[in-house]
This record gives sequence, structure tokens and C-alpha cells, in this order.
Amino acid sequence: MVAVGILPKDIAIYAVPVVTLMLGLLIGYFAQRSGYCSIGGFRDFYLFRHTRLLSGYITLILASFAGYLFFWFITPAAMEGFFWANTNGLFTAIPGAPGGLSPAAYFLFAIIPGFFIGLICVYLGGCPIRQTVMASEGNYKAAWFFVGMCIGSIIFAAWVSGAVVVLMKSVGFGV
Amino acid sequence: MYIHMSDKSGSEHTGQSHRDWMRHPAFLGALIGILAAFTQALLISAGGPVAYGFCVACHTRDLVNGLTNIVAGTHLALAPISANAVLPVMSIVGVLIGGYVAAKKSKEHKIRKGTNVDYAIYFLAGVIVLQLAMIFGGCPYRAALRTGYGDLSALVFIISMAAGVIAGAYIMLKWAEREEA
Repeated sequence: MVAVGILPKDIAIYAVPVVTLMLGLLIGYFAQRSGYCSIGGFRDFYLFRHTRLLSGYITLILASFAGYLFFWFITPAAMEGFFWANTNGLFTAIPGAPGGLSPAAYFLFAIIPGFFIGLICVYLGGCPIRQTVMASEGNYKAAWFFVGMCIGSIIFAAWVSGAVVVLMKSVGFGV
Repeated sequence: MYIHMSDKSGSEHTGQSHRDWMRHPAFLGALIGILAAFTQALLISAGGPVAYGFCVACHTRDLVNGLTNIVAGTHLALAPISANAVLPVMSIVGVLIGGYVAAKKSKEHKIRKGTNVDYAIYFLAGVIVLQLAMIFGGCPYRAALRTGYGDLSALVFIISMAAGVIAGAYIMLKWAEREEA
């Protein structure tokens, strides 16, 4: 099944960079104004019981559910497989991670990277979006984090992605 | 060792403007959630995956790998929506420009330098965080979008991430106490 959006494919392929650029401009602007940070939300709540940043992240989860539900009513063909746990099985992951592994592998892929992203980012003082915004504010350390993400993209596609799949299959997580 | 705090974290913020609600993180959370759903409704014909409206790690990967593929003729993996489109997703370029404009406008743009050791740590952390995020298939933001889409494995990621944050904050508290002692 191929999902069909509001724009037909031959227009959508031109609209992708334009629409996402405008979305990014809005997010970057308001993220700078609010100091938006997901990791910081959990950290501030744990250390000081501050809820300001955490409310931003929880609102994001709720608003995305409301948004997807709304557009599922309006354009059901664009919302393929919504509501995912209902249509695809309780803990089946939405594609995006390296493919061809068993559902149990994606469960591990949620637990282990999640924990270490939390651990590393709280030490750095911000999640990826906070680092990106701090880089645009003139923070050199955050800029180096962003450069690391860029180089990491190529490293992941060239070596790590394949190595993770081979490793997981060798320990019995193949399909 | 001290605990890094982002400039405006916590609830001590006291601005007196009628547009203060625009500076609340919950406003941006609602904005990203709704616009991410709208972007998917608009653009999904160009390619998947679903719940891909905004993600710092994935969109950086698409941007870098997509442009590298165009310039150097390589075949680095990226999401179908970026592979099919004329240019990859540009949201990270937008975040950088938007953040810069907001910082300049509010006179918060300030060059903050660190030591070379800091730069090496942050660079390495950037590489590692991207690998971890790509193994999961998203950064904290796509995890939130995936949870909203009904993917409970993403909710597991968020809970695990919260546990990691608490563990990290606890370790840093202990470091700080030991340095004071």
C-alpha cells in the first residue's frame, strides 16, 4: 500500500525541501525563544521539580497524536497504518531503523540507545535540538556537536548500519 | 564538575510581555506536533516513512547523505522521502537559520568558546549520539512523533531515555558533591 498525500507525487518531490525549510525556520525560531529541550525537561524535573521544559515535550507527544488523529479523519490515505499499535501489533516499530530484524531486536534498539542518549546528552547539557540551536547562538562546543552529527551520518550509512544488522543476526535476531 | 544548565531552563523565567506564551516550550511542542502531522498529510506521496515530520538526527542524516550523494555521486542510505525528492529535507537548515535570527533579534547571540578538549568531547558525542539515534530510528523528537502515531516501542525509548537522564544527573550530582568535599 502506497500512502497518498494532499500533493501529488510530482509536485511533492519539489515541495519537500521548501516545506521542511519553512517548518525548520519556525521550529528554530521558537526553540531559541523558549530554550526548548527534551533531555533538559526530564533533568529539570528530576533535579528541581521544574515542569516548564518537560511540559513542552509532553505537549509535543499529545499534540502530535491530536494532529495525526485530525489528519487521519481528513486525509486517511496519507496516515498509513494509524493508529500503529492497533494496525501493526503492539510493539512493532515504525520503519526508520536498519531493516530486516525481528521485532525483539527493535525493542532492544529502543531500550539501549534510549538510555545512552539520555546519559550522554544530560552530560552535554542538551538534546540534539538544543545543541543545534545553541550552535546557531554562537556556542562553539554545540557547533562541534553538530559537526559530529554530520560526520556521524556518513559513518553510520557507510559502516555502522551494516555492522549492526550483521551483529544482531549473528546473535539470533534475524527474521 | 558542574551541571550545565541551558540559559532559560527552569521556571524562574520572568518576562512581562503580552507575547510571553510564545516563549513557553508547550507552545512549540504543540506547534511541532500539529505541523509534523500537517507536513505528513501534505508530502507523504513523495515517500515515507510515517511520523517523519521532524527529527533532528534523521533530518541531519538525510541532509548530509543526500547532498553527499548529489555532489559526490555516492549511494549513502537515507529516508525515501529525501531520496525521491529533488533535494533532501531542509528542516535542519531552517532550525539553524531560525535560531540565529531569533538570537540576533533578542541580542542573545554571543560567541562562547571552549577548550580543544571540550570540542573533541562534543564532536565525539555528536558522532556517538547520531549512531545511537539512527539505530533506534529517531532522536527524542521523532520518538515523540512515533509515540503520537501509536508506536509503543517509541514510548519505551522515551522511558528508557528518562532513566538515562536520571542516571546521568545523579552521577553528576555525586561528582559535584565529591568536588565540594
